[in-house]
Amino acid sequence: MTNTEILAAVRQVLTESLALGSRGPALRAESALLGSLPELDSMAVMSVMAALEERFDILADDDDISGETFATLASLSALVERKLAP
Amino acid sequence: MNATQAAPASAFFLPGARGARFCLFHAPAPDQPACGAFIYLHPFAEEMNCARRIAAQQSRALAALGFGVLQIDLFGCGDSDGEFSDADWAAWRDDASDAADWLGAQGFERINLWGVRLGALLALDVANRLDAEHLLLWQPTLNGKHALTQFLRIALAGQALGGSAVRFADTGAMRAALAAGEMIEIAGYPLASALAADLDALEAANLPAPRAQVHWLERSSEGLPLTAASERQLDRWRAAGTNAHGIALPGATAFWSTPGHTTAPEFNAATAQLLAPPP
Repeated sequence: MTNTEILAAVRQVLTESLALGSRGPALRAESALLGSLPELDSMAVMSVMAALEERFDILADDDDISGETFATLASLSALVERKLAP
Repeated sequence: MNATQAAPASAFFLPGARGARFCLFHAPAPDQPACGAFIYLHPFAEEMNCARRIAAQQSRALAALGFGVLQIDLFGCGDSDGEFSDADWAAWRDDASDAADWLGAQGFERINLWGVRLGALLALDVANRLDAEHLLLWQPTLNGKHALTQFLRIALAGQALGGSAVRFADTGAMRAALAAGEMIEIAGYPLASALAADLDALEAANLPAPRAQVHWLERSSEGLPLTAASERQLDRWRAAGTNAHGIALPGATAFWSTPGHTTAPEFNAATAQLLAPPP
């Protein structure tokens, strides 16, 4: 997967996990997540991480549950890139 | 859609070990051939609440097809007796057995299990003991350890988001605290060591392959098949002789983790297609 494809897939996971509707496709790489999406409470952070693990068949670390990871679409996508890297 | 107006569900308390379990029984529609009965095994913690209305809707739909459906709130959950902090896996297995016994006493000879999320793992664990005929698994949780980690991470996310004081560095520290006898409250659910240890030891891959026919329904992202982990599990069962098939439901909402989302049309439709009698 290219990084562009990963970003698009992460956007899709976010959109579906948080039921964002039309706000999902409008998310740009630099779009803020935490503090911007009211759906993103602690339970939703866990759900999104679990959905990413399933979607990409990756395992997140506890350290990945952080404000930095969930800052923007790009930072969340970068996490997936790192997990997928050989 | 079946035009039969289903009778309202009857609510009652089923006596069990350490108190009573709240149950809802949906009687099968009288004009349908008798199909046996389903026991509904609910998801874990807050997911149970998120799934409540959808479970009731699907129960009524199964009743309209001719199945009796018994919804049971497991020990320490919902409106049943017991504290969540006192719950353990053995109690929940016993609850499933008690539910099957009750259905047997009502004259149902064929028992089927319908489990959602962690309820599906419970269904898998008791299926052979209860001689279940069909296993209807909605978005099954395969790995208890992974499920516990995700549950514990709700607390870590609360810390990371600044909503709660930082108490634990990671889920390892939380597990250590639990093992030392500490109770940890997560999203309003007081988790104690017994249940945590049970969950850590549970894995679908380590359970005997079910003799029942397995119907596996799983939401997927638009355009994608079942996850790799799901396919691996289904393949293991098929290799062991289980009649198992999985169906991906593209674009279906993850209703168990989406508060306020009260419909699951993709799951309803796939279930009806699987279980409706041939025309």
